[in-house]
Amino acid sequence: MGAISERDIVTLCGQVGTILLENGAETSRVENTVEYVGRAVDLPVICHATMTGIFVSSENSATTRIFKVRVGDFNLQKVDEINTLSREFSRHEITYDELKKEVKRVDTETLDFSWLTKCIGAGLVSMPPMLLFKATWGDLALAFFVGILGYVASQIVAHHTKTPYIPVAVGSLVISLLANVLGIVGIAHDANYIIISALMPLVPGVPMTNSLREIIERNTISGIVRATDAIMAGISIGSGVIVGQIIIKSIFGG
Amino acid sequence: MMEIVYGFIFGFLSSVGFGIITNNPRRTLIPAGLVGAIAWIVYIIVGWYNHGLIMPNLLGAVVIGLLGNLCAILVRAPVNIFYVPCLVSLVPGAILYDSMKNFTLGNDNAAFVGFVKALTVGMSLAIGFIIAEAIANKIYPPLKKRLAQRENDKK
Repeated sequence: MGAISERDIVTLCGQVGTILLENGAETSRVENTVEYVGRAVDLPVICHATMTGIFVSSENSATTRIFKVRVGDFNLQKVDEINTLSREFSRHEITYDELKKEVKRVDTETLDFSWLTKCIGAGLVSMPPMLLFKATWGDLALAFFVGILGYVASQIVAHHTKTPYIPVAVGSLVISLLANVLGIVGIAHDANYIIISALMPLVPGVPMTNSLREIIERNTISGIVRATDAIMAGISIGSGVIVGQIIIKSIFGG
Repeated sequence: MMEIVYGFIFGFLSSVGFGIITNNPRRTLIPAGLVGAIAWIVYIIVGWYNHGLIMPNLLGAVVIGLLGNLCAILVRAPVNIFYVPCLVSLVPGAILYDSMKNFTLGNDNAAFVGFVKALTVGMSLAIGFIIAEAIANKIYPPLKKRLAQRENDKK
């Protein structure tokens, strides 16, 4: 293993950590995996991960690297692939060079569900079980389609802008517009139920829970970062919905 | 009774749906859906006997934690891959949205009540996970060992 420079290993470890963190792994898992990879090449590394950056340092010398992280959408496929790779690597089933190549591959391209499948997925999430006996079946069916449109709108906006929170705001605006129109025209029973169910794919419930999990595990910084993120997303969704309501009311004069 | 049947179906569908959005590996979709559905049933049944917010969510999370860890061992994937999609039906997203809507409208009191509710649900889910993980760490290692042994025997 002498041929690989320490710097190289630390860099690779950092890349592994960055991919994991960007795609929704929790910080303790990131730290464990990175230290695992380091130990597998006989270089003890220390890793400290927060939501905004990863620090990887070799214990043998002063080699340290910092990696900036931008947490985006969850892509659990990548988390799984990196996890599998690091396991194979620590069992010495793949070599260091193979690991390096594979990590690069996972970083740039991974297999994704097709657009159509994702839309159907968003539609399914838009029929949350909690509303089954409160909303009518017709409303839930409408929520399926409204939810798809809201999800598509937010994804399209996300491709065009880097400003955070704008995609979810636009998505919820679209949902609110559609639901209120349906409600006023009389197709839907209660626009509110449609809005709540159609928002399910956008709403930051999972980040909220993850943040509390991190806080309980004493990763306070990451927990607070995630919680703030969830609240900001909640505010932008709330404003999106209300702007939609105001627009529709001013057009139809509700 | 119908409530349970429908709850199972829709719990399954919404977990699988969220799994698709977050791009779960394909082999984990069905197990994640099943865990989500079972957790939802537990949530409904506990809700019959206890009308608070905490117990149904906490026990739902315990179920997700236990079954999710089991699936993680059987399917060989990080536990988070099961947690995220299964959580989607329990998670306080709608409450958080509602509270933030009130905040935007200027109904500060309603916003505050909603926010505390969202925190309560989130906390009970998180504590449920911790409990489940504590149990899982005690129960599952022997199972893991046996699985590894069987695989070695095959080779």
